[in-house]
Amino acid sequence: MTSTTRENAVNHVDEPRVTPVVRRSKVDRAYRAIATMSGSIVFVVMALIGGFLLYRGIDALRISGWGFITESQWAPDMGGAFGIAAVLPYTVSIALVALFLAVPISVATALFITEYAPRRLRRFLTATIDLLAAVPSLIYGLWGLFYLQPRLITLSKWLADNLGFIPFFKVNEDFGTSLGVFPSSTFVAGVIVSLMVIPICTSVMREVFGQAPPGEREGAMALGGTRWGVVRDVVLPFGRGGIIGGSMLGLGRALGETIAVTLIISPSFDAKWSILEQGSNSIAALIALKFSESTETGISALMAAGLALFVITLLVNTAASSVVNRSRSGSATEI
Amino acid sequence: MTDLRITTPVPTVGSNVQTIDDGLHGAAGLTASNVACWFGTKKVLEGVSLDMAPGQVTALIGPSGCGKSTFLRTLNRMHELVPGATLGGEILINGVDIYRGAIPVTDVRRRIGMVFQKPNPFPAMTVAENVVSGLKLSGLKVTKSEREDLIESCLTKAGLWNEVKNRLGDPGRALSGGQQQRLCIARSLAVSPQVLLMDEPCSALDPTSTRRIEQTISEISESVTIVIVTHNMQQAQRVSDRCAFFLAAENEPGRIIEEGPTKDIFTNPRDSRTEDYVNGRFG
Repeated sequence: MTSTTRENAVNHVDEPRVTPVVRRSKVDRAYRAIATMSGSIVFVVMALIGGFLLYRGIDALRISGWGFITESQWAPDMGGAFGIAAVLPYTVSIALVALFLAVPISVATALFITEYAPRRLRRFLTATIDLLAAVPSLIYGLWGLFYLQPRLITLSKWLADNLGFIPFFKVNEDFGTSLGVFPSSTFVAGVIVSLMVIPICTSVMREVFGQAPPGEREGAMALGGTRWGVVRDVVLPFGRGGIIGGSMLGLGRALGETIAVTLIISPSFDAKWSILEQGSNSIAALIALKFSESTETGISALMAAGLALFVITLLVNTAASSVVNRSRSGSATEI
Repeated sequence: MTDLRITTPVPTVGSNVQTIDDGLHGAAGLTASNVACWFGTKKVLEGVSLDMAPGQVTALIGPSGCGKSTFLRTLNRMHELVPGATLGGEILINGVDIYRGAIPVTDVRRRIGMVFQKPNPFPAMTVAENVVSGLKLSGLKVTKSEREDLIESCLTKAGLWNEVKNRLGDPGRALSGGQQQRLCIARSLAVSPQVLLMDEPCSALDPTSTRRIEQTISEISESVTIVIVTHNMQQAQRVSDRCAFFLAAENEPGRIIEEGPTKDIFTNPRDSRTEDYVNGRFG
């Protein structure tokens, strides 16, 4: 009834009312335009990077064909075969070693900050961890190379000697298990990268744990819950999305870490199971190492490798942010 | 002091009560003497002394901001969870000091349960898991059959069993608000508390749910002492045996103005401010 009256009769009365709305929406429109533009810059840059990598890498991809995925050697400059069959697994295993160490430490640190630490310490720790995230990766790399690695390989040897039956920890017996086979390995690189990943993971997890609903916390406390009980039954179920999301953001960072890995590893193009043995690689390190000495085809091949890394990182981060966002809204706690 | 302990029969929470309790069960008396509370430097409560007799329902009434919820939260040591919150005075359960005594804080909170204003079932748990969550939280172990008995008996006591017996596996959040609140009551009862504190448990609920909860209160009050904060005068009259009227003058900490049998507070108050309040003239 009202709608017919409005449509038929009040056409003229409606117009003056619209004017102030238009005026207000002009400001709004301007703001919206600016915001939309800023927002879309992200997509534009993304598309430009992806497009650029594809454009520059396509020549090499034409030469190698599917070999780019199956070939483990890297000799594009001499017209030889090249592919990421060794580099990619190394990249992933460095990242996985890093996450394997970083995730439990980050969960525990985030829980300590949100659940156990006194308030002063909480602020101090948060600030320190954020500071750790700001340390340039080159510094981590140098410190890792000269300070941590010589100490870490003792642990490598211990792992190889005692847990050598696990394929990851096995080292080639030809070299014996002298300390000399352990530096510059996937493991050492992974440990250094884990140090860089921990601040990011911890930040995300702390944020999410801190949002665990106070009502549920108090409910658990009022039932005689212990601190650990509250963590287990309220904080962790609520923060599950944050744990997954934080880990995946860390994974994204770990996959792309360049300079520290470049400093640590000695490049290898033979994929192997052992993470303790000398010789590792990563796409980012490969690009950093080869870039200055490559021919045109070589550079195109590196671009193609970069594209592979770009796509993987993009997928990981997209998955991560969607999980984190879901947990923020609390929907991850349903079911 | 320990002879204050009441030896009422074990509440019928299944056959497992002995195994999940430390021998201290049945409604317990709470005594607050000269309790004062601060948030930082702001004193919000002063000189509160109140006897909450075993097996009775005590209602705390008064206008908003008079400190009755704060007082309630001192009774099971929830007050101290607020950063900067401190208190003075003494609170005894069956004559034992809950702040300075030998009872661990987790035991205090288990023996003195709490139902909150807003229903807060654990969303990650099913209805059944919610009921027995207190056991897991406080590290108590029960066998599977004891667990099932406990779920049924607590839900029955909370007046919820018939509505949810076929939905025990549903998430707690799938229930309606009133059902969630009764689920929270069932959850509190599952750890066999001696006292149950209720902080405006019906303020977020519709009249029907409110009536169900009031029914539950009168049914369980024999085996558990109840202290309830309410803004609803009719509710205080319907459910409570005794009433304490709290009031805070402007920029003054809250105090108990008058305390006594509910009937007297409502029909024959000694203080004119009580009379004004219960008759709806302010607050």
